[in-house]
Amino acid sequence: MIASRVGRPVASAAAALGLTAVALGATAAPAAADPQPMGRCTTTSGAVLAVDLSDWGGPILRSCGTTPTTGYELLNQGGWRTTGTGHDGPAFICRIGYSGYKNGKQYPTPAEDDCVLTPPASAYWSYWHADPGESDWSYSQLGAMLYKPKPGSVDLWIFGGTNIEGTEGRPQVTPDQLRAHNTRPTGDSGKPASTAKAPAPPPDVGTGPAPERPVTEEPRTSAPRTSTPPPPKKPAPGKPPGPAKSASPSPSPTPSPSASTSESPSAVAAPSPGTRVVDAAPAAEAGHDPGSTVPVITGASLVVLIGGAAVFVARRRRRIG
Amino acid sequence: MTVAGTTTEAASSAPSGPSPDRGGRRLSRMLHPVAWWVWALSLATAVSRTNNPLLLFLVLAVLGYVVTARRTEAPWARGFKYYLYLALTVVAIRVVFRAVFATGITPHDHFLFSLPRIPTPDWYAGIKIGGPVSLEALLSAATDGLRLACMLCCIGAANTLANPKRALRVLPGALYELGVAVTVAISVAPQLVQSVQRVARARKLRAGRTQGMKALRGIAVPVLEDALERSLRLAAAMDSRGYGRAGTATRRSRRATGALMLLGMCGLCAGAYGLLDATAPAFLGLPAMAAGAVLCVAGLRLGGRRVTRTTYRPDPWRPAEWAVVGSGVVSAVLLFTNLGYDPAQLNPTFYPLTWPELPLVPTAAILLAGAAGLIAPPPAPHRPVRKAESA
Repeated sequence: MIASRVGRPVASAAAALGLTAVALGATAAPAAADPQPMGRCTTTSGAVLAVDLSDWGGPILRSCGTTPTTGYELLNQGGWRTTGTGHDGPAFICRIGYSGYKNGKQYPTPAEDDCVLTPPASAYWSYWHADPGESDWSYSQLGAMLYKPKPGSVDLWIFGGTNIEGTEGRPQVTPDQLRAHNTRPTGDSGKPASTAKAPAPPPDVGTGPAPERPVTEEPRTSAPRTSTPPPPKKPAPGKPPGPAKSASPSPSPTPSPSASTSESPSAVAAPSPGTRVVDAAPAAEAGHDPGSTVPVITGASLVVLIGGAAVFVARRRRRIG
Repeated sequence: MTVAGTTTEAASSAPSGPSPDRGGRRLSRMLHPVAWWVWALSLATAVSRTNNPLLLFLVLAVLGYVVTARRTEAPWARGFKYYLYLALTVVAIRVVFRAVFATGITPHDHFLFSLPRIPTPDWYAGIKIGGPVSLEALLSAATDGLRLACMLCCIGAANTLANPKRALRVLPGALYELGVAVTVAISVAPQLVQSVQRVARARKLRAGRTQGMKALRGIAVPVLEDALERSLRLAAAMDSRGYGRAGTATRRSRRATGALMLLGMCGLCAGAYGLLDATAPAFLGLPAMAAGAVLCVAGLRLGGRRVTRTTYRPDPWRPAEWAVVGSGVVSAVLLFTNLGYDPAQLNPTFYPLTWPELPLVPTAAILLAGAAGLIAPPPAPHRPVRKAESA
């Protein structure tokens, strides 16, 4: 009794606090984390997101987002969407999908991984970073919700297996093949092509370690002004795609594949035969179907029916016995 | 059991047909305890496959029906509600842990409430305590807990339906070496249930304090003590009747049996580990499991050869036993074959919120397991039979 009497004011106070927090969050939220066309990402601003879908015969999809942001936000805007596991929640990236690729189908498919428990270390989405100027990937030490990409950095998600040290199962592309090379934003104005921006986060959402100070932007006038896609990559010296499952973090220097200078707005570089890099423009969210309530009603009535039978049997037994 | 023994032809003429008992037209007898255990373990295996709340609630309903319809009047057979309480506790613990150890919330989730956040240092950023809690997180925690709760209830149903003392008799002879340990392990849960009932009745008669922490202590200690004591008494009684004796075995054959059993158990453990861990080397999986099983069977054979047992009033194994076992095993197999349904329907996701589906084949499989409540012969309704039973 006493507990409930005390509990009510406490609950209402908490609710009020929560509401204020929502209101504060709504007003004080910075205009951060917008999906951007690829050309808006430069060597010093914006964060590039790359997702390797080659396990399902797809390309490496590349997108751009503004900073500050979290790895999770970057992966959930502009048509991108992830699914967590039932056990670990949305913070564990179990499936990734992009509404502009195969109708937003998320990979791995439910037949491959049911995403109930934590996926095995032999087949999961591993998270790699390359800060500006870095020529090699580093395995993320933080989850997607805690990591904050630096301006000008690249975030890469590849599917497969790794070991704990991150020396096995490294990406086969180099950061240079994926990062933005233009020093000035190109394309349209700062307005994103789509307003499909992630909604404001609920109050008190995880604040991970603060990112380091962003590198000061120094736009150079001599930069070539190309159209939307970034300019063709210059071959990365001494950093060709490593062999599959290479245990050494620095592959031996071999002639790197000549960068394709295709004029096509997509398909920029060919890191390995069969894997293309395609720019994924900000797109609208893939629709979500909440499903039908008929199965739930059917199931509930079945349960009630059997439960009723059990009660009936129990009553009769009590009468007889 | 004497009734069933003397009228064999009557019992065999009432085979697995799902005819409901009408006023005791079907001969009442107790089903073989092993049949109930196989049935319940199969259902638990089937449950381990699904995370669908509709199917899980269906399993609970089926268990409730079978238990109420086919339990005896014995003391251990009235304990199903305690397993239900335990199941409820499991779900509650799972939900509370999910809320306290936040798993993150996204803007797409339905925000429910926020717990005070306990800040953790940067190097400990992987674990978050407190923070916002979403409806999706609580729902998936609840279904996760419900699956474990269902498996617990399956074991509870087996303990309720099968006579634990008769189940002891079918243990392989070689396990006689472990007499006391096995007896305590198998009979402690039913004994606990009986003890809880006795202590509760005694407290009611005394009309003392019935609420609060003090009362809990007054219940928990005597219950635990009583249950263990009774299990030990049972073990001592069995020991005095020759259970757990080495018999005519020589030192060498006993050592050989022990070595075979130990190696076999190691093989089984390694095999289970290899099967569950995808990164383990291939020889650790099925080969180790098979080798372990072969060693165990050899050890049991070797140990059982020298133990001679005679059986007084054996438990019969008739078509009804086959049918009950079959209904359980078929339902487990159906849930593992992925035939006729999309495996994704077994594990619906709550991110984003979606109504779960009710796949036809798994539903039919669970209902088939529930048919055991109709197939099994009805339990003896009157007290005199029960007295003869417990003698």
